[in-house]
Amino acid sequence: MVKRRNWTRRELLRGSAAAAGTLVISGAAGPLAFARGSDEIRVGVVGCGGRGSGAAHNCVESSPGVKIVALADAFADRMKKLKTDFEVPDDRCFVGIDAYKKLMALDDINMVILATPPGFRPKQLAEAIRQGKNVFMEKPVAVCPAGIKVVIEAAELAGQKGLAIVAGTQRRHQHEYVETMKRIHDGAIGDIVSAQCYWNMGGLWVSKRQAGQSDIEWQIRNWLYFTWLSGDHICEQHVHNIDVVNWAFQDAQPESIHGIGGRQWRTGPEYGNIFDHFGIEFFYPGDVRTISMCRQIEGTAGNVSERVVGTKGFTDCHGTIMGENSWRYRGPRTNPYVQEHTDLIKSIRDGKPLNEGKRIAESTLCAIMGRESAYSRQQFTRSWFLNRCTLDLLPADDMKLSDSRPVAAVAIPGQYQLPGFVRETRRRGRG
Amino acid sequence: MSSHVNKVSGTNAGAVAGAAATAAVLGQIAHARGSDRIKVGMLGCGGRGNGAMRNCMEADSAVEIIALADLFETQVRATRDRLEKNEQFKDRVNVADDHMFWGFDCHEKLANCEADLLLMATTPAFRGRQLMAAVKAGKHVFTEKPIATDVAGCKEVMEASRLAKQKGLGIVAGTQRRHEFSRVALMKRIHEGAIGELVGGQCYWYGGGIWFRGREPWMSELQWQCRNWYHFTWLSGDQICEQHIHNIDVMNWCFDGPPAKITAVGGRQWRSHNESQINTAKEVCKAYNNGSEEGWEKYNGDIWDHIYAEFEYPNGARCLSFSGHSPGTGRNGEKVVGTKGVSDCSRSHTGPNAWRFEGKNVNGQVQEHADLIASIRSGKPLNEGQRVAESTLTAIGARIAACTGQVITWDWLMNESKQSLVPTQAELMAGKPLYHPIATGHDEKV
Repeated sequence: MVKRRNWTRRELLRGSAAAAGTLVISGAAGPLAFARGSDEIRVGVVGCGGRGSGAAHNCVESSPGVKIVALADAFADRMKKLKTDFEVPDDRCFVGIDAYKKLMALDDINMVILATPPGFRPKQLAEAIRQGKNVFMEKPVAVCPAGIKVVIEAAELAGQKGLAIVAGTQRRHQHEYVETMKRIHDGAIGDIVSAQCYWNMGGLWVSKRQAGQSDIEWQIRNWLYFTWLSGDHICEQHVHNIDVVNWAFQDAQPESIHGIGGRQWRTGPEYGNIFDHFGIEFFYPGDVRTISMCRQIEGTAGNVSERVVGTKGFTDCHGTIMGENSWRYRGPRTNPYVQEHTDLIKSIRDGKPLNEGKRIAESTLCAIMGRESAYSRQQFTRSWFLNRCTLDLLPADDMKLSDSRPVAAVAIPGQYQLPGFVRETRRRGRG
Repeated sequence: MSSHVNKVSGTNAGAVAGAAATAAVLGQIAHARGSDRIKVGMLGCGGRGNGAMRNCMEADSAVEIIALADLFETQVRATRDRLEKNEQFKDRVNVADDHMFWGFDCHEKLANCEADLLLMATTPAFRGRQLMAAVKAGKHVFTEKPIATDVAGCKEVMEASRLAKQKGLGIVAGTQRRHEFSRVALMKRIHEGAIGELVGGQCYWYGGGIWFRGREPWMSELQWQCRNWYHFTWLSGDQICEQHIHNIDVMNWCFDGPPAKITAVGGRQWRSHNESQINTAKEVCKAYNNGSEEGWEKYNGDIWDHIYAEFEYPNGARCLSFSGHSPGTGRNGEKVVGTKGVSDCSRSHTGPNAWRFEGKNVNGQVQEHADLIASIRSGKPLNEGQRVAESTLTAIGARIAACTGQVITWDWLMNESKQSLVPTQAELMAGKPLYHPIATGHDEKV
């Protein structure tokens, strides 16, 4: 465990004072006109697509004294909206796969928003912490165990440096969830004996390949559909619900994983190599087994939720407990996508930086394990996966947008090799 | 549990002394023939059918095999030869030439012979009409599981089961876990609240795969399909129905009825890439298409290889059903979770009232026959028809939930679904093969 200590504002907001005199901040209009001082939060956005743009606006809305002052993205066209919204000058807009490094090298930035495809997250987080920036990062935070290790190391370093890390698992900042979880942890439903979580939905956007696009450019623009970029939809989306179940277990981690999944409906080449459904069983300590189900198939029944069952009752995890200690949340409700930034920035200004890095890495790891179990149809332990599985999908440091990269094969049980896995003797069923 | 007497040995020991009385009771219930034998006809002479016959003969020394029926003449003849050479049972095998039946209407001919009890172990697709014919002809029935492959088939069995009840006929199903002493004693405790209220559970059957049969030169295309039945949903109901029903039935047993609501995902990720299976499918394709491999895929079967379903029982408990075939980790079993403990659904449970079965267990595949015959003799024939139809329909409901991507309710299955996959008897007699496309996960709810 990294020891926590309180940090001074000066330490936390390093860079802002030095930059204040030299930079011309244009206009500075907007709803949160703020007398610039030493606690201004000066934000660089890495990844300016839909979620990055959303997060930037959420961040500015969340607290006074927040400015978006630099942008980075692999593609100039993706940056236009934020550039206009926040009047970011050309020389502070960085384009290219390594643009994040240039942005993070800016001295006057004290926080970054990381919202590129998740495959890039580990290295970008490591760089942000190395450069002394506070971080808001979207989920998931990695797509492979190698990436998870990078994130956990960076989170530890952030702790040592007194930097904050908040992740975009906004349910952790949603009052209904927070208050319900407190009660679960205080025993309102007794011991947890069962749980379920789901992200069943229709389809999402797809970006078909355009003439002249290299493999890498097309895959990054269509990143949802490639495991090395999104981690597959179980990782990219369902991590939210898996994170809630982990939370209910007070962040105790599943010991073993077994799952199935496939690609049954969404089979066209524009959908890369990911699956369209997963069903995973997580084995938490004490052999408590939980259901995790996710699907992206157009026109099918939707369900995005969690449910936790204890010896004294059950809960939807966000405001309702039924059983011996029935309860309903009646407090205020805020936009959790804004609240997560409010909490982050307050923690920085209070000198008590939140650090959610390890926790979100662990929840992401659960989703990755589910995926790999479904790809291989093998059951394995978390300990094996984290320590012995050699799967490494991290992008190479010298990757270029013009590079070739064939689409990875869709995982077929019996053909898919889970790196480092030595096949166990099959346990056969009886008739 | 010493109170559980092994009824098999008890029956055998008293067989000679009780023979006359037995015959009398049997005669009242079934046909008055004045014989001390229980005349058994076998429908379906494959692996399980032969197994069921041996189990039945082992269960009761009064059992005599008098008729054999199968889709294929070869199976019937091979089975008689095998039985007549069996040192243990040959004295109780008396199958005359005119008591051997084959073809798609063999069940009708069998139902009209003088057997008291019919054992059914053909592919499950035809069970509804077979059972109906048997019950109408006044036969007691042992039927292998599952009992249908579609919703219509389940309802036909429910109907036949009602009729059997009216006629005082017994129906026992080959979900043998229901006849294992350890499970019977355990379930009694669970139903009495030994692990508190049931709030969750899991059941599994995930295995490595199954045979894929090529054709014999004399087979029509429909005959080949029926020989390779496992791989066609209309014939087997898919693996969740054909195999995993055992575990689903145990979950339903725990909750004393079927789930109210089912959500599921699933697909076919491996079978279409199984090389040896593909090679066989191509050979079959060539045989029926003048040597051309074009369109071989339809000969590769349409069943999936994994379904992950959630059953929501009427009390709100949500349980996992995990089934499939592929390389990978295999699993088989059940677990049920209560507010005061958990159980392996087999022989023990934890909690403040922790318990373990210490009695002598039995082979459920023999005991189920012993229980059926004992119930007939006692004049209170067991009737498991409705129950096994419900468990089969649970499996089919999960398959439909996965294939359509929709939430399937029990009410919808019972009252609205029009699903019917199996050809009529006339269509079968006409001999046309039947291929359905592989389900997509986006299919229409029927």
